[in-house]
Amino acid sequence: MIPLSAYVALSAILFMTGLLGVLIRRNFIVVLMSVEIMLNAANINLVAFSHYLDSMAGQLAALFIIAIAAGEAAVGLAIIIVVFRGQLATNVDQINLLKW
Amino acid sequence: MTFDLVLSGSDLLLLAPEIFLTVWLCVVLAIDFSIKNLDHENIAYLSVGGVIATLLNLLWFDYLGVTGTLFHDMFVLDRLAIFFKIFVLLSTVLVILSSIDYVKSFRFFRGEYYFLVMMSALGMMFMASAHDLLSVFVTLEFSTFGFYVLVAYLRDDVKSNEAGLKFFILGVFAAGLLAYGVSLVYGETGTLVFSEMAHTPGSYGLAIGFLMIFAALGFKIGAVPFHSWIPDTYHGAPTPVTAFLSIAPKGAAMAILIRMFYVALAAFKPTWVLLFVVASILSMTYGNIVAIAQKNIKRLLAYSGIAQIGNVLIGLAAGTKRGSDAILFYLLTYLFANLGAFAVVIGVGNLIKSDEIEDYNGLNRRSPFLAAAMLIFLLSLAGVPPLAGFIGKLYIFVAAIDQELYTLLAVGLINIIISMYYYLVVVKKMYINEPVDPSPIRVSIPIKTVIYVGLAGTLILGIYPRPFIEWVVAATLMFSNVTDMVAAALPHGSGG
Repeated sequence: MIPLSAYVALSAILFMTGLLGVLIRRNFIVVLMSVEIMLNAANINLVAFSHYLDSMAGQLAALFIIAIAAGEAAVGLAIIIVVFRGQLATNVDQINLLKW
Repeated sequence: MTFDLVLSGSDLLLLAPEIFLTVWLCVVLAIDFSIKNLDHENIAYLSVGGVIATLLNLLWFDYLGVTGTLFHDMFVLDRLAIFFKIFVLLSTVLVILSSIDYVKSFRFFRGEYYFLVMMSALGMMFMASAHDLLSVFVTLEFSTFGFYVLVAYLRDDVKSNEAGLKFFILGVFAAGLLAYGVSLVYGETGTLVFSEMAHTPGSYGLAIGFLMIFAALGFKIGAVPFHSWIPDTYHGAPTPVTAFLSIAPKGAAMAILIRMFYVALAAFKPTWVLLFVVASILSMTYGNIVAIAQKNIKRLLAYSGIAQIGNVLIGLAAGTKRGSDAILFYLLTYLFANLGAFAVVIGVGNLIKSDEIEDYNGLNRRSPFLAAAMLIFLLSLAGVPPLAGFIGKLYIFVAAIDQELYTLLAVGLINIIISMYYYLVVVKKMYINEPVDPSPIRVSIPIKTVIYVGLAGTLILGIYPRPFIEWVVAATLMFSNVTDMVAAALPHGSGG
């Protein structure tokens, strides 16, 4: 029997990986992947808690988060393609037209 | 672990406004696809008709006092939810009307624009009813998806693309924080429903979870540590979308914030009050000081919006029923003044194709109507009597005095003076400076309508606020015991 703390530790590590990825990596696609990792960290937490608390709500929430993550990827890639067509940019640093 | 979903017709009646709007926007999309060479203006008026019908339905619900919950407390319809739904739909109507001329400049996808606006409005209506962390997450993303596309709508405009990308990256980052925060709170409390969390003991997991949820909602309303996307997104987005973004999501997210902190976390009030005091002081001061340096009217209104949200947060820092009343009333005054000001910006921008403040030089000579309207909206945003903004600020400061938050009050008053400066710089340019190009600016009828509605709202809320104050007091009636809950929790409850 794997203890709950193991799941929580795994999800915390994944979440930190995603967080650092968003903050450090410069490529849009990698940033989008890092956000997906953050969402999946939340899913692991939800499913683990759902099992140990014997309550169904967490698993339901995980299903909804998976669906929304898919939608996010679709909208995000569309926006990234539009930006790439317009400015041939794939890095966060190259997008610097707007600033005060 | 069994689930039973029992729905009767009278339960579904609670969802009637949402169901009606869903059907209507599908019909609008189908008409746009199937009838060739249809003037998109008809699509706009069709959309306005549907949204107004939904609005009337909600007003009728409010009059009858229809309330109830659905889907295991995930969806709640009470007076507070009805208020925020009316708030969102009112701003949707005004935004669609002020979009009509702007959309004419699009080469493609004119009909879909209205569909996306209504879709976001639908998401925000559900946000106003969210009573569960799962529905908070789903509805927040639902409404934001529409905005991601709308902000990047001008496909050939690099500024719009860039604004869309920045908004998207920070938006999904906030969604990641929200999801992880929800999972932590679920682990600590074993439930997702707000009202069932009310009696859990405080712990670090709960505190970190709610801080993450607060960060995600702070991102939506643009409070200061989470504001970095606001100026760029507002600048690059199509102006009507900026107008929509500056008001409707803030109202809907504020509904969630009020519900979450007043219902789920009432017992920890001494802890979270500090959070809102800090966020409020930072937002007001930062927004107002940086606004002084702006050269673009959309960026000026973006920073002024950050400062206005600082004022709204004073109400949450008070954490009383009067605080929540004041928030609702303040948002109402902000809706009319801000959408009115954006309608003027759209009207001017459609003609001169520029949003620089320099180009407002001598607006009074070119269009006395637009200049006078802008003057009234800016003075209301600054809080000059007898306009709506004055009553709103007064109400919110009274709520702060009740709780003896004198520091917050002092910062708020100093900030009114700072904000007066940059609003009046715009006024000075409109009335005293000479125009470079003195040709008159013609305003189309839809934009005129929006400006008249804004003027009417700003003046009526300022001169005769009584019925509206009664309305917001009734809308937050369920929070009248929030102070008692804190008192009951204080002897043995420690902070979260």
